[in-house]
Amino acid sequence: MLEIAGLTKSFGPRQALASVNLLVDDGDFVVLAGPNGAGKTTLLRILAMLMRPSSGTLLLGGVDLLRAGPGVRRQIGYLSHRTLLYDDLTAEQNLRFYARMYGMAEPEARIAELLARVDLAERRGDLVRTYSRGMQQRLAVARTLLHEPRLLLLDEPYTGLDPVASDRLTALLSGLSGEGRTLLLTTHALESVALAGRRGVILSRGRVVYDGVIDDPAGFGARYRALVGSPASASPPSGPRASEYVSARSDGRRKGAESGPLSTTGGDTKRGEAPGYLRQVLAIVAKDLAAEMHTREIFSAMAVYAILAMLIFSFALDLRGAVARAAAPGVLWASIAFAGTLGLNRSMAREQENGGMDGLLLSPADRTVVLVGKALGSLAMMAALEAVLVPLATILFNVGLLNAGVLAVVLVGSVGYALVGTLLAAIAINTRAREVMLPILLLPLVVPMLIAAVQVTGGLLEGLRWADLRGWTQLLVVYDLLIAAASLLTFEIVVEA
Amino acid sequence: MTGASVTLRHRDWVGLALAGLSVVSFVAALWMVFGYAPREATMGDVQRIFYFHVASAWVGFFGFFVTFAAGILYLAYADRRWDVVAHASAQVGLAFITMTLLTGMLWAKPAWGVYWTWEPRLTISAVQWLLYVAYAMLRGSVTSAEREARFAAVYGIVAFVTVPLSWFAIRWWRTIHPQIVSGEGMAITPPMAQTLFVSLGAFTLVYAALLLQRIRLADARDRLEALRLAGES
Repeated sequence: MLEIAGLTKSFGPRQALASVNLLVDDGDFVVLAGPNGAGKTTLLRILAMLMRPSSGTLLLGGVDLLRAGPGVRRQIGYLSHRTLLYDDLTAEQNLRFYARMYGMAEPEARIAELLARVDLAERRGDLVRTYSRGMQQRLAVARTLLHEPRLLLLDEPYTGLDPVASDRLTALLSGLSGEGRTLLLTTHALESVALAGRRGVILSRGRVVYDGVIDDPAGFGARYRALVGSPASASPPSGPRASEYVSARSDGRRKGAESGPLSTTGGDTKRGEAPGYLRQVLAIVAKDLAAEMHTREIFSAMAVYAILAMLIFSFALDLRGAVARAAAPGVLWASIAFAGTLGLNRSMAREQENGGMDGLLLSPADRTVVLVGKALGSLAMMAALEAVLVPLATILFNVGLLNAGVLAVVLVGSVGYALVGTLLAAIAINTRAREVMLPILLLPLVVPMLIAAVQVTGGLLEGLRWADLRGWTQLLVVYDLLIAAASLLTFEIVVEA
Repeated sequence: MTGASVTLRHRDWVGLALAGLSVVSFVAALWMVFGYAPREATMGDVQRIFYFHVASAWVGFFGFFVTFAAGILYLAYADRRWDVVAHASAQVGLAFITMTLLTGMLWAKPAWGVYWTWEPRLTISAVQWLLYVAYAMLRGSVTSAEREARFAAVYGIVAFVTVPLSWFAIRWWRTIHPQIVSGEGMAITPPMAQTLFVSLGAFTLVYAALLLQRIRLADARDRLEALRLAGES
């Protein structure tokens, strides 16, 4: 049973949803209709826990979705306008990644079954970027069904599908409804025969203006036009509406209420704890590295940029002896910092391409899993870059950078850099100037840390002991810790809508 | 600003009073700086810039603290009024930190022989300035008002992490930057201290008056937007 009561959502002075009330029984198949901007997608995104409402309550199987832990997301499947797939992974890799995020123990059989059902078994090893729009949509359907959710939220699922694929999807959805799964589907194809017998809900300007069974799709289409085509649609019209439907379903509602509270996967806890924090973090890291193995674009860009910077500094300054020892740490860290922004920006852009960030947020993972996973992925890339840059700086400046102390400082500095860089990349990617915003936001924030790192590196080159460098080391570590704590505490706010 | 709690009439009185007070106190501060405070023995008249430098630094850092606190309150209560306060305070704070850097450089040249040196407190001040320029650019680059407020609140909070470092940096390392206040008391004469306090008060009042004007401007813009939306529907 899904219970929506008094749900509102405002974006500044604009109200997208105005006190929406709906009761949806287990196994219901609800068709949400409404003109563009009526609030359908906003409603589905709130139900998918991707967006918080301004007010109202949401209960799924008795569990308050606005207060539930991340584990409850295993009960929800959301098919977005965007595919939430990674172009640089194969179909199989995409599904395997999501299976790990959902904590599925033995996903291979399920993945094979779903790929067969959406007719992609033969292309399972191909990169998603080589798929047609329709194929990507079919794979997105498979992703939505992968973890066998009880509540399916489908936003325009027929987009891009050919007639045969549409028929297959209709049969698939009917089967899911028959299994007792609850479906909410938005569509503009109101006169499709597939809608006959379903429950139809019409939204207009954020309000439910009709709620009833679709006896005749053609009649439903006519009713839709009558309700949303006139200014009067802003207020609920007379005629059969939600109240009648809810009344007729009251038996079902009682039945749903008696079915008891929702259990998360394995029925372990009503509140829904997110299991396998480390496993989910590693899944994100592995996914990022797998995508990088297919493209090699992030490391290549970072390495070429940093090597060029270092060569230009070396050529322009042509330093030797003590002056070279003084300059080398600064050149090294400047190269790492500037190249690092390239990698962080591209890594987050990859998440945004098909809405992958939404895919991560849909999974039953704590939000900090996403931050830590993405940051570790970037850190791995930076470590690979540093494995090239430190020896290169040693050669070009003829200084002894290849020692354990310097490598430890490089690693400590990079950890903080990757964490706060990931946080700010998640912000920058949502700005108009997304290509240039990250360095503007990030570099001023890490300047004190970079200065400390340069001082410690320089001190080690001069043969100073750690005790002599205590002040700068303290600054490096304290700054690292403060920035890491701030990033962990605020990441959820950044990605939450 | 939707739901603004202060009436226009009330705001007018507060605004006028603040503007009047800031003008009076600023004139008083100018008189004390040039007519009351003694000439410093070593640096001469150039030392007088110190009263503007310290006062603008105080207001700049205070402005960033207000941005930080208002950002936290916005995230806690999702009340747009706190976002307006955070934004306004960052704008005013940025203006005062710019003044701090400029007056500092003017003082440093005769005192230290260079306009700029990478001394910790100077470095952190420069970083603060860059952070709030970035804050302003971020504000201008987000299309959704709600998202802008959320991102700016997070950035304002993370950026403020550097303020305590700036404050303590001078004590963590043996900087060449003068320490006016230390464990042994103040390193200036009583008339100098009195002049400094009056300058601090005057700059604080100017900050408050400018902050209020920025808030009123945002309020007017929001009401205009609400009227436009009402006209569309």
